[in-house]
Amino acid sequence: MSALASVLALLRAKLLGLATAPKRFAVTVQRAVYDLRTGKRTPWDVGKSVLMTLFGLAMVLILLFPLFWIFTASLAEGTRLFNTSGIFPDPTTYNLDAYRWVLFESNFFFVDGDWGYPQLVIGGGSGLVPLGFRWVGTDTGPGAVFNSLYLVSVTIAAGFGMIVPAAYAFSRRQFVGRKRILYGYVLFTQIGAGLSIATLVALYSLFSSYGLTNNLFVLGLFYAAGAIPFNTWLLKTYMDNIPVSYEEAAMVDGASFLQTIREVIIPLTKPGLAVVLIFVWLAGWNEFIIAQTLLSPENYPLSVELYNLATEGRFSTPWTRFAAFANLFALPVAIVYFAAQRSVEDGLSFGGMEG
Amino acid sequence: MASSQTGTGASGLARLRAAVPFSNRDWGLLLVIPGVILFSSFMLYPIFYLFYISLTDATFAGSVIGGGAELIGFDNYVRLLGDSQFWTSMSTTWLFVAVSLVVKVFVAVGIALLLNHARVVGKRYMRAAVIVPLGFPGIFTITVWRGMFSDARFGVFNTILGRYNGVMSSLSAPEFLLFDVPIGFLSGRWEAFFAYVTTEVWLAYPFMVIIIVSALQDVPRELHEAAMVDGAGFLQRFRTVTLPAIRRPVLFASILTGATAFQQFLIPWVFNRGGPARQNELIIVYGYREAISFNEFGLSAAILIVAIGFIGVFMYAAVRYGGLAEGVGER
Repeated sequence: MSALASVLALLRAKLLGLATAPKRFAVTVQRAVYDLRTGKRTPWDVGKSVLMTLFGLAMVLILLFPLFWIFTASLAEGTRLFNTSGIFPDPTTYNLDAYRWVLFESNFFFVDGDWGYPQLVIGGGSGLVPLGFRWVGTDTGPGAVFNSLYLVSVTIAAGFGMIVPAAYAFSRRQFVGRKRILYGYVLFTQIGAGLSIATLVALYSLFSSYGLTNNLFVLGLFYAAGAIPFNTWLLKTYMDNIPVSYEEAAMVDGASFLQTIREVIIPLTKPGLAVVLIFVWLAGWNEFIIAQTLLSPENYPLSVELYNLATEGRFSTPWTRFAAFANLFALPVAIVYFAAQRSVEDGLSFGGMEG
Repeated sequence: MASSQTGTGASGLARLRAAVPFSNRDWGLLLVIPGVILFSSFMLYPIFYLFYISLTDATFAGSVIGGGAELIGFDNYVRLLGDSQFWTSMSTTWLFVAVSLVVKVFVAVGIALLLNHARVVGKRYMRAAVIVPLGFPGIFTITVWRGMFSDARFGVFNTILGRYNGVMSSLSAPEFLLFDVPIGFLSGRWEAFFAYVTTEVWLAYPFMVIIIVSALQDVPRELHEAAMVDGAGFLQRFRTVTLPAIRRPVLFASILTGATAFQQFLIPWVFNRGGPARQNELIIVYGYREAISFNEFGLSAAILIVAIGFIGVFMYAAVRYGGLAEGVGER
């Protein structure tokens, strides 16, 4: 919970910073004009700054061109995207039909977009309360987003349950084999996606002989396993920077061991936990090739659905629909990611490339 | 980093230890073990199992455990050495790593220098913007790039090249400056290779920019000013002040992104499955296809074991040159 709360806090701070940006830019311009009038800076000096800034802006635009292109494409359902008139669709034809398609016809939320509604069932349910919920009014069932969320929940639950205690132990305790395990973890912080695809061939034969393919729970555990070395190391480094004297002080005041964990360690580790939450989430949310190989269509998460949409026909990717689907799939994650950008950068600069 | 607590923290740790429910000093191991077991069973065990498969003549997933496969020693590896497809894949992979790495380093250093320049207004926001690609899932961005490299007459890059041709011929430029549109970016061998490299560079530059910028910001301003006072030009300052500061981070980032390039799977897979005619199958794609598409599990396992060997070298190099293991001994 506290990890989630700090992700939200980061998001809020980011938005505040963005909202005040135009004001600060205006101040910079006013200042330049003032300097120019009073002769503090020569016109050539100011001109050089303007040129460099424009150059930087142009570079940013070129680098982000693909993302801009796909965003405009998502607004152009019903028009021919690749045509003589240019790369970008005509702004006068912008519409949201592609998003409507994602919501009510694709498998994003419900198979074939067939939404039902929840119904309270009296006498159902389990345990003491004779009440239950049932999803009715749909013939097909829940779609890819639920598979993705289930997958990610397993990954996060398993990942956090193993990462946080281990990071604490590595940071604060001395035990047999500590150095050796830690060194092994550090080695495996540097893996890319290739290693899990390489092990996939072995996993595929192991899983199919034990009947574990097409099992979202096992797949979630697999993602958690892949995320353990990097995130344990990340969190351990973070905890290393919390002085032990804080714990000592708490103990002097009579706090028990578990109280120091709850009142000292966890609150001070919050930003680290937020970053770990983001990385573990991404590990489950983005991966697609292993999911595609191991799962059957009814269990496909969003990433696989997206890939299938892109390769429906060899030459006829439905770009507008793909774009809308992809934006809904990627944007929430991307927003959170950039809110926590500073911390994520710190994590990346020692940790490498994860994902 | 953690040295601050080793001195003053010794007695605190002793007291911490006294306060915990059990007296054994190794109890920390219990917190670590579950993670180690999960990691080993899903990552390490499959690697050993993969090695076992590579010693058998297994053809499909069922035959591995179902008893249809027999141990044949190192025959798969011998077969691999005589397989021309293996050598094509190996050389293409290393060429891909080398070319993309050189381009990445130049692009990333250029961007980092520009976005750290005193004259650029709003560089903090620009820096935040240029690393945006990092936040999107690979499957998304790579598919978008496939769309941009579309073979179609009105694909994005073909349209841009068409416009360029129009401008150039209106300036009556010589013939060799024009492009022969439409270019089949995904259907020619080197065209596809070019498309892979472009996409790989675009995917990897944000990470390098982050690392280089943080190294540049550690260079004291006075150093630059002193060099300027001494009359050093831009190039001279770059060579004597900037370069020494960013050499180690660039080396580290190169090893890491080189490793990702070596393991690149999604780009060739999404673009054209390593085509045309299997000429651009990077090593992981090659191994994956031999197992899943051609039912050659034994051979595929041998390929992947070779690939994992190289990945291991990358991992070791990154840990060594990145100085990552320094924190291992600390507590």
